[in-house]
Amino acid sequence: MLRTVAACALLLLIGCKKSEPAVPGATPAAAAARIVGVVTDVGGRGDQSFNDSALRGLEAWAAAQQYQSGSYAPLSPEARTATIPEALRAKVTPLSVKPLVLQSKSPEDYQPNLQLLVDQRADLTVGVGFLLENAVEQVAKANPKSSFLLIDSPILDAQGQPAALPNVRTVVFREEEGSFLAGVLAGFAAKDTVGFVGGMEIPLIKKFEAGFRAGVKTANPKVKVLVGYTGSFDNVAAGKQLAQDQLAKGAEVVFQAAGSDGLGAIQAVKEAKAAGKRVFAIGVDSDQAHLAPDAMLTSMVKRVDLAVYEAAKDLSEGKFTGGDRVMGLKEGGVSLAPVTLDFEGKAAALARVDALQALVAQGKVQVPANLKALETFEPPAP
Amino acid sequence: MLEFFHTLLFSTLEAAPPLVFAAVGASLCERAGVVNVGVEGMMRAGAFAAAAAALVMPTPLGVVVGALAGASLAAVHGLLCIRLRSDQVVSGMALNLVMLALGTFLLEAVFHSSSGSTPITQLSRLSLGSIDAVPLLGALFNHSALTYLAVLAPLLAHWALKHTRWGLRVRAVGEQPQAVAAVGIPVGTLRFSAVLLSGALAGVGGAVLSTATLDHFEHHMPSGLGFMAVAAMVFGRWTPLGAAGAATFFALADSLRIGLASSAPSLAQLVPGGVQLALPYALTLLVLAVQGQRGGAPAALGQSFDLERR
Repeated sequence: MLRTVAACALLLLIGCKKSEPAVPGATPAAAAARIVGVVTDVGGRGDQSFNDSALRGLEAWAAAQQYQSGSYAPLSPEARTATIPEALRAKVTPLSVKPLVLQSKSPEDYQPNLQLLVDQRADLTVGVGFLLENAVEQVAKANPKSSFLLIDSPILDAQGQPAALPNVRTVVFREEEGSFLAGVLAGFAAKDTVGFVGGMEIPLIKKFEAGFRAGVKTANPKVKVLVGYTGSFDNVAAGKQLAQDQLAKGAEVVFQAAGSDGLGAIQAVKEAKAAGKRVFAIGVDSDQAHLAPDAMLTSMVKRVDLAVYEAAKDLSEGKFTGGDRVMGLKEGGVSLAPVTLDFEGKAAALARVDALQALVAQGKVQVPANLKALETFEPPAP
Repeated sequence: MLEFFHTLLFSTLEAAPPLVFAAVGASLCERAGVVNVGVEGMMRAGAFAAAAAALVMPTPLGVVVGALAGASLAAVHGLLCIRLRSDQVVSGMALNLVMLALGTFLLEAVFHSSSGSTPITQLSRLSLGSIDAVPLLGALFNHSALTYLAVLAPLLAHWALKHTRWGLRVRAVGEQPQAVAAVGIPVGTLRFSAVLLSGALAGVGGAVLSTATLDHFEHHMPSGLGFMAVAAMVFGRWTPLGAAGAATFFALADSLRIGLASSAPSLAQLVPGGVQLALPYALTLLVLAVQGQRGGAPAALGQSFDLERR
């Protein structure tokens, strides 16, 4: 089926090519617009997380378009600006690119979707999420003249070792650095206990834990961190149970890095807040404030949108190169969402967060990325 | 120490209801001789329908709609298994697959989101004010009404099976449908009633997730709880009380794992996390292995009834 679609698309393209000479000097502006294709993972459009972030970087930031019921409409400058965080507004300018998005309904769609975009003459093809690692590798090898961007994973060989390809740019994030700032804020907001709710107990989530605990230790070494893992990413009930347990044992701030389980954790905090307790939740990946406006202290945001935008910008300036990139606080790849709620000592906490953010960006503070490094971590002097 | 047990009790009472409803439902269905592996799909139907309905009506009524949605899916199961005599396991799995896709489709069609529905008013919690703070006793309060209903449901189901005419007949069609037919009782109708009830209970189990645990339908729901409920039913030897007990045990094991991780991290690390997570499933396998071939399952389980066959 897909092959038929691809063949039809190719035929159409060929058809267009043939007709071009008949219309002399046709649309030079359109010809200049680069096509950037995005293949979402199974989360798809509307996941309020990774995929939406990538699509925002391409559609709103780069192309100034919005997607409405099946087609694109121009986005007004004001509406576009509203989607960009203040710190990035000067840097993120509209580009001459055309978005082309394919959603994946199952993991089997990744490879055909990527290939379809290549066949559609996409100048850059983006795979959103580490789940597409294998598919991007296969398609990039088969199409060495096309450019690719892979979010959240390097290209790995069969042994799990990094194996970069010349036409693929990969971007991973320093989650521990963002989690570190979240920990600092939590350490200031809490008096004696905070909680960490993890999903599966895997190295990626351990990065969040290590950074968060280092941050809490930096803010206030006396604050105790309760740590729990639900063992899944899709079970809201387990996340809620875990957070309820931590709240009952005195946690005042709960940081979740647990996918959908985290929604349950946030719900637990929201209910405790409604019952009159002084508790906060910290979200992850994107700004989750809308889930519990009264209880969300902040969110540890991964700027997938910025990674996609920068690749599109490099492409339109003819500077796109492959290679593995790591985006931390310095590169703006991770950040804290705006802190809108009030708590005692907020001004001092925010000042300390800003100071530490600068220190980490300058490389003067090394944030531990695993529990082993956490053991030897010495908090910087205030 | 007291705090630890207080939290354990509270946490178990929070986590058990979806499993208990679904497991008790499954036990009714299978007692009547119809295999129900479609519990996962029925829970998903209940979770979605309850959340969608609660947008336009009070949330408790939404839960009733969730039960109806579970029952409608069960009606399809009944039609396939009882009327058309198709393979009961295949029918159940097919329903799971259909609901997995249909849930996602409806979510996108109705709410234009791939992640979750619009928030609703959450079911309120039954609080007695100052008693909530009393150690242990307080852990019994501050739950939604569905938690207390989950305590009643297995007792009611047990009573209905053991002490009513309907219950006697349901148990009989699960063991010897030919004998029941011989005394002039319609086997199909009886089985259908048990299947519908099972679907309604699974629907309520799903509705707990979207109306009490969370305040919206999340696209992963019920994330395998339906299969766990079927395991609990097997563990509980196909009886409502046993199924509810096993479901509560699964929830307790989970709460214990979580509670130890926060109260006694060193103790929790004695057993690797993966082993702790796999424990309920490993125990179910063990019970299945120990109890032998039939192990309390109804004699006619999985066999479609044909009046002319002997």
